[in-house]
Amino acid sequence: MSLVKFIAMDPFNQLMTPRFQVHKNNLEKLFYPRSVAVVGTNNIKGTVPYDILYNILKAEFKGILFPVSPGEKSICSVRAYKYVIDIDYPVDLAILVFPAQVCHMAMEQCGQKGIKAVVIISAGFKEVGEKGRDRETQLKMIAERYEMSFIGPNCLGVINTDPAVCLNASFARKMPEEGTIGFLSQSGALCTAVLDYARAKHIGFSKFISFGNKADISEIDLLYYLKDDEKTKVILLYLEEVSDGLALMRAAQDIIIETGKPVLILKSGRTDAGASAAASHTGSLAGSDEICNAAFKQAGIIRCANIEEMFNIAIAFAYQPLPKSNQIAIITNAGGPGVLTTDAAISEGLELATFTEETTLLFKKYLPATANIKNPVDVIGDARADRYNLAITGAMSDPGVDGIFVILTPQSMTDIDTIAHEIVKVTEGYTKPVYTSFMGEADVRSGVDILQRNKIPHYILPESMCRSFARVCSFKSDRYERNLQVKTFSDVDKKTVQSIILKSLEQHITFLSEEKAVEILEAYRLPIIQGLVANTSAQAAEAAAKIGFPVVMKVLSDEIAHKSDVKGVILNVTTQMEAEKAYQSILHNVNISKPGVKIQGVYITKMVNAGREVILGIKRDPSFGPVVMFGLGGIYVELYKDVSFSVAPVSESAAESMIHEIKAFGLLNGMRGMEKYDTASIKSCILRLSQLAMDFPQIQELDINPLIVLKEGSGSFVADAKIVLQ
Amino acid sequence: MDKSEIRSKIKYVIGQILEKDVSEITDDSNFVFDLGASSMQSLQLIAAFEEEFGIEMDQEKAMEVQTVSGAVDFVSACLN
Repeated sequence: MSLVKFIAMDPFNQLMTPRFQVHKNNLEKLFYPRSVAVVGTNNIKGTVPYDILYNILKAEFKGILFPVSPGEKSICSVRAYKYVIDIDYPVDLAILVFPAQVCHMAMEQCGQKGIKAVVIISAGFKEVGEKGRDRETQLKMIAERYEMSFIGPNCLGVINTDPAVCLNASFARKMPEEGTIGFLSQSGALCTAVLDYARAKHIGFSKFISFGNKADISEIDLLYYLKDDEKTKVILLYLEEVSDGLALMRAAQDIIIETGKPVLILKSGRTDAGASAAASHTGSLAGSDEICNAAFKQAGIIRCANIEEMFNIAIAFAYQPLPKSNQIAIITNAGGPGVLTTDAAISEGLELATFTEETTLLFKKYLPATANIKNPVDVIGDARADRYNLAITGAMSDPGVDGIFVILTPQSMTDIDTIAHEIVKVTEGYTKPVYTSFMGEADVRSGVDILQRNKIPHYILPESMCRSFARVCSFKSDRYERNLQVKTFSDVDKKTVQSIILKSLEQHITFLSEEKAVEILEAYRLPIIQGLVANTSAQAAEAAAKIGFPVVMKVLSDEIAHKSDVKGVILNVTTQMEAEKAYQSILHNVNISKPGVKIQGVYITKMVNAGREVILGIKRDPSFGPVVMFGLGGIYVELYKDVSFSVAPVSESAAESMIHEIKAFGLLNGMRGMEKYDTASIKSCILRLSQLAMDFPQIQELDINPLIVLKEGSGSFVADAKIVLQ
Repeated sequence: MDKSEIRSKIKYVIGQILEKDVSEITDDSNFVFDLGASSMQSLQLIAAFEEEFGIEMDQEKAMEVQTVSGAVDFVSACLN
């Protein structure tokens, strides 16, 4: 299987930009500085300028620290300099804590000093409006001039827990524990909550970065840095807005393919007003959150619903080996939780392993007669550490088991802490993942603490445990099964499409009605039905007869987006007389609904009663670029919104996934003995639409509604289409 | 009051509030970047200028003044 990376298809390759290379060179200095200057610090305890410096000292930074303060001789007993250019030593990293109005002055001096990496903590930039935006631009210009890179402004700071550095250049309350999770956040305030949450659970970080306004270094640069960071095994990202969706997808794919590191994202702002303003079906269905979902899935990014879920999954990746399969063993000291866990596991697509005879005999021999020795194994309520040891060891040794879930409920005789220690001990040296759920809160707290300190994933609820394991399993299988190859069609007629689009735009026509839309689709070899345009009722009758009855007659106008809404569509016309009447009716209806609208005629096509209606479309997203949509037509899209999306260019496997993942796929796939429909034809249409969208950035939205799909092997054809240009 | 008198009074007031020798204060000195004024001290400077010159300043506009020469021009405009 050959993997063609997304990056090869993108003409705007982020990795080639000069700024990206500058950042790549400077980020090492930012995270591993030998010397740090805190510029704008003071002696007022409880202020950000003071606390930043104090935190660096408190964390026992391994390098040299230089306070820069025009008003003080020393800060925290460390000699202070009036200006950064007064420091008579090389400085690798500057942390700017001056008020926004003077940051540019400090930045200029940093540039003159030769400092390449800067973190700008100060607020008062683009987040406050135009004046702030201008200040930010000024900082960027200085950074470009001196080939510097900066994080922020308006951020919490950066933390590197590597014992070689111990850098807490932030105003977070405490330095986190060292770990293997890299955390990137657009929100500084969220960072402090996350740090506190993680601290309580002994979750450690490799690098912890609040990137604020991302005026210079963005999450993309940081993702690439963490890709190559040996201390980072899992990458978490909190984003409020996706500025460059394609770059984000590319970065994630590079990380996953090259290193196997999972990328988890929590993106806020799920509601969307943009979709409501769209002209087409596709446009209205393709809200920004739906597109984000599709794009993240396509790139292999694991999207999380909340912070808790994000860390639940992160610790599974960070602490335990990846499972070989989804076959699990559940060990519990209570039947009820065992059943709950089983239910949750099955609903997440996991499977309960069937033990070998050897394992079963072992359990039969050493567990009490009242114990359940099948999966889930119930070691019963009076189980102590020895019984847990036996059950876990037995399950670990069973070749059919690839993951172990250990459940504990605190009975009066349950030696919780000892069992926790036993789990830690017994699982050492095994390559199968173990997850735990000590159910409860107060009594189990110390036992949970033991598990967390020893990096055994613990989940307050078995359901979270199952969900996390399932996500790990699907990440693993996705990584090796994805084929990103993109097909390019050479039989397309770009000139015709270009000509139609250019002529339309010259006449300020941005809405292309069916006739022109069909012509464009035909140029890209999508299957169409030939239609004829009639400008009189007599022509309508003649055209209908030529095409062959029954026919469909539709108003043709660049000003009517939804023909049915104006009663501009008449189906099943069966005679020439009907055709004449239908022509007149259509014009009459349209004149009543939309008086004065320009009509180019009535478009007549053959009516086909066989086949299934599907909808295909394109929407150009400001962040991700063109997105292709597919769904079953009619009520499936109107009521259930049962559609799937892929960001273009759509690979062959992505096109297949799009078709398979809609809930109503069974209706195309011959469920319950029904006919199978030509999904290969749908796939071809998706791929051609993808290419059309990539070739012509002027296409803002496109609807094929419906595409009539005939039975397997018989193809499909476009029954109606419209295009919106930008 | 001419500008040079305004200038020397302003420098005197700054020296008092920011505990600096007047010789360290130049016309181009930025209150924050060169003289280390905190946000509290910036407000104190405004109050002190108002008292020294018997004027009332628009606080928002006054906060935008960043340098000694800027303050001289601002106070001068208020007096006139």
